Amino acid sequence: MSNDLEKELRAALRHVDPAPGFASRVSARIDSERHGRWLPARYRWIPAALAASVMLCLIAGYGWHWRREQQGLEARQQLLEALRLTGEKLDVAYRGVQDVSKSPASGNAGNT
Amino acid sequence: MTDGDACSVCDALARARAGDTAAFAALVRQHQRAVYSLALRMLSDRHKAEDLAQEVFIRLHRKLATVQSDTHLRFWLRQVTSRLAIDRLRREPRHELVPITEDLPLASEPAPGDPLLQRQLRVLIAQLPPAARAVVLLRYQEDLDPTEIARTLEMPINTVKSHLKRSLEQLRERITGAADATASGRDATPL
Repeated sequence: MSNDLEKELRAALRHVDPAPGFASRVSARIDSERHGRWLPARYRWIPAALAASVMLCLIAGYGWHWRREQQGLEARQQLLEALRLTGEKLDVAYRGVQDVSKSPASGNAGNT
Repeated sequence: MTDGDACSVCDALARARAGDTAAFAALVRQHQRAVYSLALRMLSDRHKAEDLAQEVFIRLHRKLATVQSDTHLRFWLRQVTSRLAIDRLRREPRHELVPITEDLPLASEPAPGDPLLQRQLRVLIAQLPPAARAVVLLRYQEDLDPTEIARTLEMPINTVKSHLKRSLEQLRERITGAADATASGRDATPL
């Protein structure tokens, strides 16, 4: 029985042919893959690495730009503060000069 | 295979490795039957089998440089076909059982023995779990011994032997059961 079953199994599992033109279909798929992939397998990491580098550059560029903008704003604030202080000082000095020129002592000094 | 044939295969392999597409096509034609048959009996679907067999040869094309001889090539093709088929069967949540009436392709030439029993065997093999199915196919379709099957499927030899034993028992039981059911049905038929 065992031998019979094994014999029937071998007969049942004989090789069968694929549909005609199998080798051509394989070649066509290989060709299409070859044309679809313009880089050999060992260099296929390069586009991904390039894309990652571009992304990193963009992020770094944006960070740099943001930092520069912040520094610019800070400098503008400092400049405005400096201008305000200078204005105040000039105002004090102007008022001082005016006070001196209006005082009688300064008028007498001119007459002597 | 004669020495001359073996040399022509080695030559074809060397030429295919060097980029000769005609030589590669010749290699495909030489091995397509074995690869397709294994894929077909594993997947029980002609379209899926064709797709899998094509994928095997595409992978071969990429790995040609690592193939050393015709023996290695046959081993590689069987190993990759079995692995890919097992992977695909495991990815499918539940593979369909092949109905006995489905017109699975019979072999190219008429086979000796009982064609109905052989068809029933093919259906029953399609119902075995993927690993057991691969073991049975490599044993009875590819005529490998258990040691070669263990190497091909990277499986302990005792597992191969137990798969073979259990699968044969299962096949025998089901065939006997089906035969008994048919016989009792015939007996119960009113005259």
